[in-house]
Amino acid sequence: MDEKRRRFEAQALPHLDAAYNLARWLVRPPLEADDIVQEAILRAFRAFDSLRGEDVKPWLLSIVRNCFLTAAAKSKDKLHVPIPVDEQIGADPALVAGEIDPESALIEAERGHALNAVIASLPQEFRETLILREMEDLSYREIADITGVPIGTVMSRLARARALLKERCHFAVEARTHAVQ
Amino acid sequence: MPCNEALQLQAYFDGELDAAAALGVERHLESCADCAALLADLEHARKLVRASAAYHRADDGLRQRIVDQIGRERSDGRKSVLWFAPDHRFLSGLGSGAAATALAAVIVYFLAAPPAPNAPLTTDLVNAHLRSLMSDHLYDVASSDRHTVKPWFAGHTDVSPPAPDFSAQGFRLVGGRADYVDGRRAAVTVYRHGRHVINVFAWAADAESPPQAATRNGYHVRCWNGGDLVFCAVSDTSESELQDLMHLIRNTKA
Repeated sequence: MDEKRRRFEAQALPHLDAAYNLARWLVRPPLEADDIVQEAILRAFRAFDSLRGEDVKPWLLSIVRNCFLTAAAKSKDKLHVPIPVDEQIGADPALVAGEIDPESALIEAERGHALNAVIASLPQEFRETLILREMEDLSYREIADITGVPIGTVMSRLARARALLKERCHFAVEARTHAVQ
Repeated sequence: MPCNEALQLQAYFDGELDAAAALGVERHLESCADCAALLADLEHARKLVRASAAYHRADDGLRQRIVDQIGRERSDGRKSVLWFAPDHRFLSGLGSGAAATALAAVIVYFLAAPPAPNAPLTTDLVNAHLRSLMSDHLYDVASSDRHTVKPWFAGHTDVSPPAPDFSAQGFRLVGGRADYVDGRRAAVTVYRHGRHVINVFAWAADAESPPQAATRNGYHVRCWNGGDLVFCAVSDTSESELQDLMHLIRNTKA
């Protein structure tokens, strides 16, 4: 048991941030990413001996996603709630502390915040595909395995996600410009 | 209208093409303005996401809770539940019709008869098999693809058996489900063999070993060890067919 725990901590826990990031991008209230990740790690630990030569990261992320889907189905959560793109700018701690040039910090925070809102507004299947590709650098095959669809579907979802990102980010910039004026 | 090579270009951008195909795309880019523009968009989107999108990291509190939780895990993951717990799914699956009535009669027989001496596990396996046939609950995840079923197990059950498809040999993978057998949470891989359903139950090996082969009222049970897991295949198909499936599963590289 100690041996298994040591191996798990060495091989699986390095991917904890990746697991948490995916959970944060998938869940909506009242679900909590912390709970999903804890449940996922527990299941991963119990199933750890069945992992033979597979890459740990995609396997772990697959479990995170399944835990999210189970929890979401239980709470009958709506998976496609869009978040309004024209949100107010939140206070950037570094900006507030006066540590960096206010104007460029504002532009950066504004750009980052609007981008996060756009990504969050994407339908789940596009959002998760984009995150697994651009943030986790996973291959089409790995994404297909995690999301349970053929590679062709991964490719078209990725193309749609990127097209929506472009469309909505331009819109976000315009909306904020109009709001400022 | 963008060039219809768009998905090919995206694959090139994501590093999914082999050298020959990549070279083809690069040559195409020299003379296609639409694709050059699309590539620029892809690069811009990637830079934006990687530089500005939030990448959330687990805080120290969560990390510590997780380490503690793993530390508390016992090697014995058994849970004590009623060995037969009728629920609404079972009852609603009874429906009408001769087949349902016949199966219902068999279930009642099992409920009334005392468990065979020294074989509560066999009885429970056959009951679990029958339960799955009676209700609408043969599988929780429907797929013939091991790459869908096996990760589903990892998210829903304590063990994650290989779940390979053997359609070519006559055993078609139809899905997986979570089930309870004799107090243990089991991962069940479901196969169809002609008109027969075969449930392959898997759980982590512990002190109790099931009998290698048994029969209860026409249903055959065949059990074996594979790695850290115990497997039990249950069906009304013949004993030799069950043995064939056992050999196929055992000889699969996980």
